[in-house]
Amino acid sequence: MTQPSTTDPPGQESHAPPPAANDSAGIRLPWAFIALVALLVVGRFVLAPYLTAPALQTWATVFVAVCVQALPFLVFGVALSAAVTAFVPASFWSKALPQRVYAAVPVAGVAGAVLPGCECASVPVASGLMARGVAPPAALAFLLASPAINPVVLVATAVAFPNDPSMVVARFAASLAVAVLAGWIWARFGRGEWLPAPRRTAEAGQSKVNAFLDAMRHDLLHAGGFLVVGALAAATLNVVIPRSWLTAVAGVPVVSVLVLALLAVLLSICSEADAFVAASLTAFSPTAKLAFLVVGPMVDLKLIALQAGTFGRAFTWRFVPLTLALAIGVSFVTGWALR
Amino acid sequence: MNRQTQGALLAILGAVLLTISAFSTTYVNYVKPGFRPLLVGAGAVLVGLGLLSVAQGWLGRPGAHGHAPRVAWLLAAPVFAIAMIAPPALGSFAARLDDGAPAPSRTANYGKLGRGGVTELTLGEFIGRAYAPSGSSLTGRKVRLTGFAVPSKTGWYVTRMRINCCAADAMALEVAVHGVPSPKENTWVQVTGTWIPWKEGVPDDYEPPALTATDVTAIAQPAEPYE
Repeated sequence: MTQPSTTDPPGQESHAPPPAANDSAGIRLPWAFIALVALLVVGRFVLAPYLTAPALQTWATVFVAVCVQALPFLVFGVALSAAVTAFVPASFWSKALPQRVYAAVPVAGVAGAVLPGCECASVPVASGLMARGVAPPAALAFLLASPAINPVVLVATAVAFPNDPSMVVARFAASLAVAVLAGWIWARFGRGEWLPAPRRTAEAGQSKVNAFLDAMRHDLLHAGGFLVVGALAAATLNVVIPRSWLTAVAGVPVVSVLVLALLAVLLSICSEADAFVAASLTAFSPTAKLAFLVVGPMVDLKLIALQAGTFGRAFTWRFVPLTLALAIGVSFVTGWALR
Repeated sequence: MNRQTQGALLAILGAVLLTISAFSTTYVNYVKPGFRPLLVGAGAVLVGLGLLSVAQGWLGRPGAHGHAPRVAWLLAAPVFAIAMIAPPALGSFAARLDDGAPAPSRTANYGKLGRGGVTELTLGEFIGRAYAPSGSSLTGRKVRLTGFAVPSKTGWYVTRMRINCCAADAMALEVAVHGVPSPKENTWVQVTGTWIPWKEGVPDDYEPPALTATDVTAIAQPAEPYE
């Protein structure tokens, strides 16, 4: 995943130049960057006239759309996270959250309702909370809950399902349940070494503003790079999977739920828009649609890439399957209770 | 990647965001028009942060010398895609991938259409009216639809993509056109004609409604390519 050349899109000639040397020696030209700009200029005028195949253009539109749509939320989330790290004292969180981890998890989950954004914003914010001493299980409950239960997403869900207000209630209840359960399970079984050590806080002699700028730049480069990995994968699957394959399995009881859960992972649609896509899958049962809505904001390709970039792989390969299993299980239970 | 390079990469990404949102309207090919202020804001923050980082590096201000991971170079990928492929709005290729089953709003209240003259309708409203349970308000009315042409085995569709957030969640709205031969694929057209009523009532499984066209005019791509 860290080898850019293996995931480069076709027609995209950016074989990453090696990272330049440390800049401790004073003024030094950023050679890697100059090479990048040169490649860009050459590509713009030499290659561009040949890059017109419809499949490539459709792929590129979806890829650019995912990036362009997610970047404002990522910038917002990173700024909020950097502000939390630089300006909010650690003592604030110990007062705001209950001391006992098991009690802090549901509080943090419900607090997720106040961050109006999609999943790209919640990852850096959760990381910033952890760096400021919030217990990881509580920060993780916040991470899972906030993209699914914030007001913007719930209103979008209500608009997408005008005849079915129970879908909004079910989505809220199921998502919050998954977030709290995941937090509790992590509190019981999680180990400290699976998460990276908290990011360095302000260095001695560094002003708060400088610490803010450094944290923001670091997070943007880190999370942004992985966001692009997720966008590459999502765009590819978006173009490769014909939707007509789906209707073939729509009537099968359990399989249809699993298929829509998997589709939510692969398509990586922003949580503010996924309700409209779910509503368009008219052939599927309400339980399958609910699984799509619960899984999507918690586990999808771009989110997995973002989490791996922010929290490390040891964390991600344990946390993602746990969340996915919980999300599907809770969707089954909620869907059954709805009937 | 040293600090100047990190800053320059962020600045160029921000500049591209500003180019497609503040200085042109290319962004409507990718996201809803309402995203513009968000994109301009994010672009400005990226440019500002990038230039500050470059300046700090050159002035030798103290700061973290943390090396960015190599994956950060991938932030150049969207820049390359926008500059070299200049991705257009989704067209017939994407429409064919979708099996074209939007959820028609079966409860929306549509006003009456004028008896004389031609009424401009969006494809979404045309489909919604055709699926209205209380008898279609389209019967006998002349309407004008705007979309691009997608030829099929049996004829052709006037098509437009509907997006709710970004092009990744696009779905195709299609209306079959009878009576006029298909224009070239992906040509934007205005189709004037009359709805063909369902033969056996409103169908249970979705199928695109159809219209008999009297006139098809080629037009330029609308400023907002999606519905």
